[in-house]
Amino acid sequence: MPFAKIANLLSFLFLLTSFLLIIRNSLTGQVRMFAIQSGLLAMLAAVVAHFGGSAELFVIAIVFAVIKVILIPSILTRAVNRIGIQRAVRPYLGTSVTLGICALLVVIAFYTMAPLAAANRLPTGDGIPLAFAGVLIGLFTTVNRRRALTQILGFLMLENSIFMIALLATYGVPLIVEIGVFLDVLVAVLILEIFVYRIKENFDSIDVKQMGALKG
Amino acid sequence: MILILLLSISAVASALIPTMRKRVLVELTHAAASVISLVVGGLVIWRLWLTQSAISWHLLRADSLSAFMIAIVTFVGAIAAIYAIGYIRLEFDESHFSRVRLFYALFQLFIFTMLLAVTTDNLGVMWVAIEGTTLATVFLVNLHENHTGLEAAYKYLIISSVGIALAFLGTVLMYYAAADQVGEIGLSWTSLIAMATRLDATIVKLAFVFILIGYGTKAGLAPMHTWLPDAHSEAPAPISALMSGVLLNVGLYALMRFKAVVDITAGAAFSSAWLMRFGLLSLGLAAAFLMSQRNYKRMLAYSSVEHTGIVALGLGFGGYWGMLGALLHMVNHALAKSMLFILSGSILLKYRTTEIRAVRGLLKAAPWTGAAFLCGILSLVGLPPFGPFISEFLIFRAGFAAHSTEYAVIGLSLVVLVFAGMLSSVNAMLYGTPEERIHCGDPLRWSIAPLAFNIILLVGFGLTLPSGVREFFSGVLRVMGVSL
Repeated sequence: MPFAKIANLLSFLFLLTSFLLIIRNSLTGQVRMFAIQSGLLAMLAAVVAHFGGSAELFVIAIVFAVIKVILIPSILTRAVNRIGIQRAVRPYLGTSVTLGICALLVVIAFYTMAPLAAANRLPTGDGIPLAFAGVLIGLFTTVNRRRALTQILGFLMLENSIFMIALLATYGVPLIVEIGVFLDVLVAVLILEIFVYRIKENFDSIDVKQMGALKG
Repeated sequence: MILILLLSISAVASALIPTMRKRVLVELTHAAASVISLVVGGLVIWRLWLTQSAISWHLLRADSLSAFMIAIVTFVGAIAAIYAIGYIRLEFDESHFSRVRLFYALFQLFIFTMLLAVTTDNLGVMWVAIEGTTLATVFLVNLHENHTGLEAAYKYLIISSVGIALAFLGTVLMYYAAADQVGEIGLSWTSLIAMATRLDATIVKLAFVFILIGYGTKAGLAPMHTWLPDAHSEAPAPISALMSGVLLNVGLYALMRFKAVVDITAGAAFSSAWLMRFGLLSLGLAAAFLMSQRNYKRMLAYSSVEHTGIVALGLGFGGYWGMLGALLHMVNHALAKSMLFILSGSILLKYRTTEIRAVRGLLKAAPWTGAAFLCGILSLVGLPPFGPFISEFLIFRAGFAAHSTEYAVIGLSLVVLVFAGMLSSVNAMLYGTPEERIHCGDPLRWSIAPLAFNIILLVGFGLTLPSGVREFFSGVLRVMGVSL
C-alpha cells in the first residue's frame, strides 16, 4: 500500500478511537481505548519514519510507545483499581448530544484546517483535519467530564492529537523538543494521579463537581 | 557561558536542597542561590548593555528582551526568597522539615524554569520550560494540604496543561510554516525572524491564535484566567508574589516573541486586534469581580488579571509608545504586586484570616506593613507618583493615537471602576481600630525591609525615566521590531 493511504487509514482509525473513547462507559475500557489510540499513533510515527527515512523519528516512535502505550495506561489503570472500579459517571451532556457535538466539531475542523491541508505538499496532508478534529474533541471531553480521571483522559487525547498534527504536518518536530514534551506529559500525569487520590480522600469521590469552594 | 552559570545556580540549589539534613543549611543555600542569581543576572544585563549584541551559546541565547525578563525574574525572585525564609519559619515548625525542604527545592526549580524560558532561542525548549513552571509550582499551591488548596492545585494543573498543549499546537504550526519554506530549521526564534517575510500568512495567523490562547492561559488573560484567582490566593505568600509578579510576565514574554514574528509576516494589525479583544475582556471581567471582593488575596489575584489585560491592550495598541507603556507596566506591576502579595502573607500571619471585613486597623496594628500595603494599592490603582500611573497613561494615550478610541475609552472607564472598588475595600482594612486580640507590631519586620527597593523603584518609574533606562527599553523594543 502506498504511504499516503496507510497514513490516511491510520489517521481515520485514530479519530475512530476518539469517538469510541467518548462513548465507553467503564473507566478501564476508556483507559484501554486510550492505549489503543496511542498504539495507532506510534505505528503512524514508525510508518512516517520508514518512508521518510528518519532514524530520529524511529526513536520518537519508540519513546512514544513506551510512555503512552505502556507507562501512562498502567498508571491510570492502577489509579482506577485503587479507587475501585466505577462506571464513568454520566458527563454533563448525554451520549447522543455529545456525539452530535463531536460530529459538528469534525466539520469545524475540516473547515478550519482546509487552507493548511491544501498548502501541504507532504503525502500525509490529508490527515491533518482528522487530527485537528481530535484536538477539538479532546478539548470538549476535558470540559464535559465530571470525573478527575476522565478529564485527564480528555487532556491526554488532546495531547495525542497535537502530536499527530506535528507528525503529519512536519514529520515530527526536532527530537529534543519531542522528548521534552513526553517527559512533561508523563510528569503531569503522575502529578494528576496523585491528585486523583487526594481528591478521593478529601471529597469521598473523584467527582470534580463537588469542588466548589473557590468562587468569585 | 555566563548564561550557563546563571541557569546552573538555581538548578544546582534545587538539586542540593533535598539532600540536606539541617534546616539552617537549607535556608542558607536558598538565600545564597537567590542573591547570587540576582548578581549574575545583573552581570548578564551589564554585558548585554556594553556589547549591544546578543549572547548566544547553543540552544541558549539572550538579547535585550531576555535581559528585561532576567531583571524581573531575579529581582522579584530575590525579594520573595528572602521573605520566604521568615514566612516559612512561622508557618512550618521542625516537625514539617520534609515539607520545608520540598518548598525550597521547588522554589529554586521554579526560578530555574523561568530563567530557562527567557534565555533560550529554541521555541520548543521555551515551551518545555514554561510547562515546567506549572509542574514546579503545582505542589507549592497545595503546600498547606487542605480542601481549597487541593481544589486550586487541581484546577491550576488541568487548565494550564490544556492551555499549554494548545500553545504547543501553535508552536508546531509555526514550525510547519517555516519548514514548508526552507526544510529543516529547528525551532530557532532567530531563524524564524530572519525568514518571517517568506512565511505563509494564513498558517502563521492560525498559529498565533493558538499561541495567544495557550500562553494567554499562563499569562492570565480572560476567559482562560479561571485558575488564576484560586491558585494565586491559595499558594503561600512568597509563591503568590512570584506567580503574580513574574510568571504572568513569562507568559506575556512568550506571546511577545511570537508577536514579533507574526507582525512581520501578517502585519501588526492582526495580532493587535486579538490582543486588544482579550485585553479588554480581561480588564472588564476583573473589574466586575473586583467591585465586590471579600477576600484580599483573591482581590490581588483578580487585579493581576486586570493588569495583564492592560499590558495586552498596550501591546495591541502598539507603536513605540504603546509598547513602551506595556513594558513599563510589566515592570511596575511586577514590583507592586509582588510587594502586595508578600505583605498579604504578613497580614495573614497577623489576623489569621483572608477575609477583608475581618481585617481592621492595619495601619495601627502593623504600621510598616500597613504603610507599604497602602503604597502598593495606590500604585495598583494608578495614582501618581507611582510608576503604573505613567505606564497606564502611555498605554491609553497610544490607544487614542492608534485610533482605537473605543477600546481606550472603555478601558479607561474600567480602570476608574477598579479604582473605586479596590480603594473602598482597602480603606476598611487600613483604618479603624483593630480587635483587642491583635497585638501591635509588624510580623517579620526585617523580612519585609527589602520591599523598600520596590517602593523606591515604583516612585522612580513614576517620576522619571533616565535616558540610560529609556535607551535600554528602546533596545528591548528593537528586538520586537519597533522603533521610534
